[in-house]
Amino acid sequence: MEEKREVGRITFSLIDAFRLGYDNVKRRFNRAALSMAAITLGIAFFSTLSLMDTFFRIHTQAEGGGLRMESYQYWLLLVSLVVCVVSITNSMLIAVYERYREIGTMKCLGALDQHVLKLFLVESIILALLGGSLGYGIGLVASIISVTFTLGFNVVLKTPPTSLLALLGETILLSVALSTVATMYPAYRAAKLDPVEALRYEV
Amino acid sequence: MRSEYIIETEDLARYYEVGGEVIKALDGVNLRVHRGEYLSIVGPSGAGKTTLFNMIGGLDRPTRGRVIIDGVDISQLDAYELAWLRCRKIGYIFQTFNLIDTLTALENVALPTIFAGVPRDEGERKAKRLLEAVGLGDRLNHKPRELSAGQQQRVAIARAMANDPAIILADEPTGNLDLYTGMEIINLLRDLNEKRGVTLISATHDLKMIGASDRVVYMRDGKIEKIEKGGQYPSIDFP
Repeated sequence: MEEKREVGRITFSLIDAFRLGYDNVKRRFNRAALSMAAITLGIAFFSTLSLMDTFFRIHTQAEGGGLRMESYQYWLLLVSLVVCVVSITNSMLIAVYERYREIGTMKCLGALDQHVLKLFLVESIILALLGGSLGYGIGLVASIISVTFTLGFNVVLKTPPTSLLALLGETILLSVALSTVATMYPAYRAAKLDPVEALRYEV
Repeated sequence: MRSEYIIETEDLARYYEVGGEVIKALDGVNLRVHRGEYLSIVGPSGAGKTTLFNMIGGLDRPTRGRVIIDGVDISQLDAYELAWLRCRKIGYIFQTFNLIDTLTALENVALPTIFAGVPRDEGERKAKRLLEAVGLGDRLNHKPRELSAGQQQRVAIARAMANDPAIILADEPTGNLDLYTGMEIINLLRDLNEKRGVTLISATHDLKMIGASDRVVYMRDGKIEKIEKGGQYPSIDFP
């Protein structure tokens, strides 16, 4: 059908973007690990605090008393998440410069601005899923250790698994949101790159 | 309707402004390229060869004039259609190969087929065939860095052919290669030109390439100085 048209259209499905993005994360693992470390740390901190909060609430319901998180801890959390976003942005910007020629070449081969944007955002989502899960795992272990020493392991057993799962969901969502926000600017830079300039660029 | 010429440029000009000074990278180029022709473009650096390529490839917009590819005035095309043109009608070969380092030879060649909307396994089958055709059937899963310069350029040629383009634009394709490897690449390109009827345009300083071509366009200061018949230098024996 496409043969009949003088000029057709270009495609780049989400599946292709995920495949290319996943390959890229796998093969540039050092660079990816840096971005992921930022997400993992921020998310680990977030999930530790949230899980502690959950355990405290369960404990309070069962035994009474007024254990809760201090408000300054939420400030710390906010600061740490901002730092996390900034470091992902930084690391992604460097990735864009490293891949200048590659982006130029892809545009020469027919990729549109939006495809480059898609590729970078998809990569950031992959990193967010990995980093977020890892961060939650670290947070879970850290908070269980902490709670076991202060309140005893019983609290953990009393906590319904659904609330832990719900928190996992929230954490992943937050992780994807943070990573997407952080990657917006680098991805835009990559997408707007002039292929003529990019191919002249010596790395 | 198929016109006799695959590429026509009419009074094509591209001016840049650098520090308040106007640089005429192209200044009124009228060029007509026949279907299946092998054209060499020669000229000192700064003569406008690369700018002309960027215009024909739809990577850059002219200040003045028109580029007509296969009867279509490409200034009338939107960004999607230009990308399609680059993807399906035109294959690029660069002096520095510009393969994607993280992808294997096979994946590099298959990459343009993704943008063309070809299903994955079909694209990979095609890429495999093309790599076999350029003599790299045993290097499918090698990364660019594991290949020699000549082999990398072969992969780049296979990639340029991935979507069966009508035109191949080769910017100094032998510029980074030694004499013998350069000859191999020229033979390969000439072969593609003759067997598959691809129109081949190459910017070059290489006398061997000029010798192999049908016509030679001499450029200077953004203008065409003269056009001569090729083959004036000792031609190359094809194995």
